[in-house]
Amino acid sequence: MPTTSPQLQLATITSREYRPPGFWCVSIRCPDIARTAGPAQYVALDLPGGFAVRLPLGIFTVKGDDFTVLFQEWGERTTRLAHAAVGDSLTCIGPLGNQFSPPKRSGHAILAGGGLGVAALWLLARDLRAHDVKANIVIGARSADRLVGVRDLARHGFDVEVCTDDGSAGFAGTVVEKVRALRRPDVIYACGPRAMLRALCDHAEREGIDCQISMEETFGCSLGTCWGCVVPVRRGSAQGTSYPRASEEARDYDLARVCADGTVFHAKDVVWV
Amino acid sequence: MNGPNSAPLDTRVVIGSAVLRNPTIAASGCYNRGAEFGAIVDVSRYGAVTLKSITRHPRLGNDMPRIATTPAGMLNAIGLQGPGIEYFLTHEAPKLTSVPTAVIASVAGFTVDEFADVAAAMDGLPNVVAIELDVSCPNVDREGECFAAEATSLARVVEAVKSRVKLPVIPKLMPNVADLKPIARAAQEAGADAVSLINAVRGMVIDVVRARPMLANRSGGLTGPAIRPIAVHAIWEVAQTITIPIIGIGGVEKGSDALEFLFAGATAIGIGTANFRDPLVHVKVTEAIELEMQRRGASSVGQLTGLAHPGFAGKPGARGAPVATKETQA
Ligand SMILES: Cc1cc2nc3c(=O)[nH]c(=O)nc-3n(C[C@H](O)[C@H](O)[C@H](O)COP(=O)(O)OP(=O)(O)OC[C@H]3O[C@@H](n4cnc5c(N)ncnc54)[C@H](O)[C@@H]3O)c2cc1C
Ligand SMILES: Cc1cc2nc3c(=O)[nH]c(=O)nc-3n(C[C@H](O)[C@H](O)[C@H](O)COP(=O)(O)O)c2cc1C
Ligand code: FES
Repeated sequence: MPTTSPQLQLATITSREYRPPGFWCVSIRCPDIARTAGPAQYVALDLPGGFAVRLPLGIFTVKGDDFTVLFQEWGERTTRLAHAAVGDSLTCIGPLGNQFSPPKRSGHAILAGGGLGVAALWLLARDLRAHDVKANIVIGARSADRLVGVRDLARHGFDVEVCTDDGSAGFAGTVVEKVRALRRPDVIYACGPRAMLRALCDHAEREGIDCQISMEETFGCSLGTCWGCVVPVRRGSAQGTSYPRASEEARDYDLARVCADGTVFHAKDVVWV
Repeated sequence: MNGPNSAPLDTRVVIGSAVLRNPTIAASGCYNRGAEFGAIVDVSRYGAVTLKSITRHPRLGNDMPRIATTPAGMLNAIGLQGPGIEYFLTHEAPKLTSVPTAVIASVAGFTVDEFADVAAAMDGLPNVVAIELDVSCPNVDREGECFAAEATSLARVVEAVKSRVKLPVIPKLMPNVADLKPIARAAQEAGADAVSLINAVRGMVIDVVRARPMLANRSGGLTGPAIRPIAVHAIWEVAQTITIPIIGIGGVEKGSDALEFLFAGATAIGIGTANFRDPLVHVKVTEAIELEMQRRGASSVGQLTGLAHPGFAGKPGARGAPVATKETQA
């Protein structure tokens, strides 16, 4: 899975768009990031205010010198960004993290996004279109009003199917149920809540489908130094760090840093504990 | 003394036998060997980088989540994840030659012997100029009481390590104690060459949706600007108690924070969490100290140390803070 070398960049907010019921799409001018970002990469944003750590957000779309981030007002940092003014400057570190790998040959892919997980899929859809890969995009949310990013994703010309838990739009059921109902793909790419990713990985494992997931954890450094963002991975898998085992250690897995070794992991490598 | 327009300022500071090119030190657990930060900033502008604390045995650390963000800070409970000393010596120590500045090794342990053995193994590694002791771990021989919480335990660790290593030894004190002064005094009397303070402050965040502590370990260490005044006060108190150098750590994120530390009695400035937000923090801090030296006509950083203490004599070259002056409690 390819990586790029991140840079500390000065950037400017160029537009902000509120998307009810609580989402924001903010556009940031930073040519080096916009022009080099790949699928599932993210930026770490430093915002004015007394924050001790940067805010990690996925790079959603890019256009010329600008990239966008799509987010919910979760807490203080996302609220600060939502209410920043056009023209405000901020520093970004990025693009960070590895990337989804395109299929080896042009085949059939499913892109599955749960909630704000769609943010990791736009660049992927762009690249798959360029690679002549056929793809279905499945986007899910609790209810119709919480579906976000559907129009943006549709821009690449792939079929986009929506699902809602309560049946208020599209397929009534989960993203995972929808994926199971579709033609067997060569590869599944996914980003979304943990339960969705886990179920998709189980499905892919059972069916022997290549599956790549972009994971999320609470980050400290975003650069791979603090080991605050680890996920358990199969012992010996390439993305993990393998230490010798202390005799009393019962946990039989290695650890990988989501921020630097990921965010993209192969389903077969992730250990769900 | 240097005037405002004179030749390059001497920003070096001395910690025992170690001479650092400037007073900024990357704090343990926040910087590794500097390789990750080296991709985006000039790590050689740090006076030293402190390695993640190493234990005798490999440790997988705590379960997730390990981090929670807090007002002006963060809470972490990494749990001393690390490869253990043997693996470190064979796989990681050789890479220390590529660190573009001095290295301070950090040792953590659960027994006095563990500290002494691991520290001895670190003595003489390439680039390593001092050994810091993360004595905030529970002492298994004393029902889990932290070594840094009690003067006798701490003294035993320092003595044991001193008897095994040539490099300067720096116990790292924690603020969660009734009175830091006797503990700092015990460290000095046991032969410590300097002390670092403070380690993270114990804290907790509760997730009100799940009605459970946010961290898998329940409690964690609070770091970042939220703890800065605690650190300043700790430095102030300890500076009045001991004469060995103090590495002040805790919430420094800009030049004036570092000046507070120096004026409170620190010789050098540890920077941890602030790197996450501003990877250029060490450069900004060094430049601010240089500017302050010019402004005050100081020829060495040491002349800024302890300036805030009543009766400070400005002894050139001395650590600065007067010893055993009258109590100055808040
Ligand atoms: C690599 C990466 C990419 C990310 N990309 C995006 C993105 O594109 N869009 C986006 O909206 N977020 C994204 N996030 C998540 C975002 O960084 C976090 O939500 C962040 O904690 C928000 O910071 P805050 O200061 O606003 O809220 P905090 O103060 O950190 O959190 C406020 C409250 O919300 C809860 N909370 C925070 N995040 C979540 C979550 N994701 N799910 C459930 N509860 C949560 C917290 O537990 C807390 O109680 C990403 C995270 C990572 C690691
Ligand atoms: C993620 C993280 C990991 C840490 N790990 C260690 C450690 O292994 N050993 C240690 O002595 N201190 C450790 N610390 C504490 C720091 O070295 C420092 O004392 C503390 O963070 C306060 O400084 P700051 O506010 O500048 O971060 C860690 C801190 C953080 C944030
Ligand atoms: S957030 Fe620090 S290692 Fe991943």
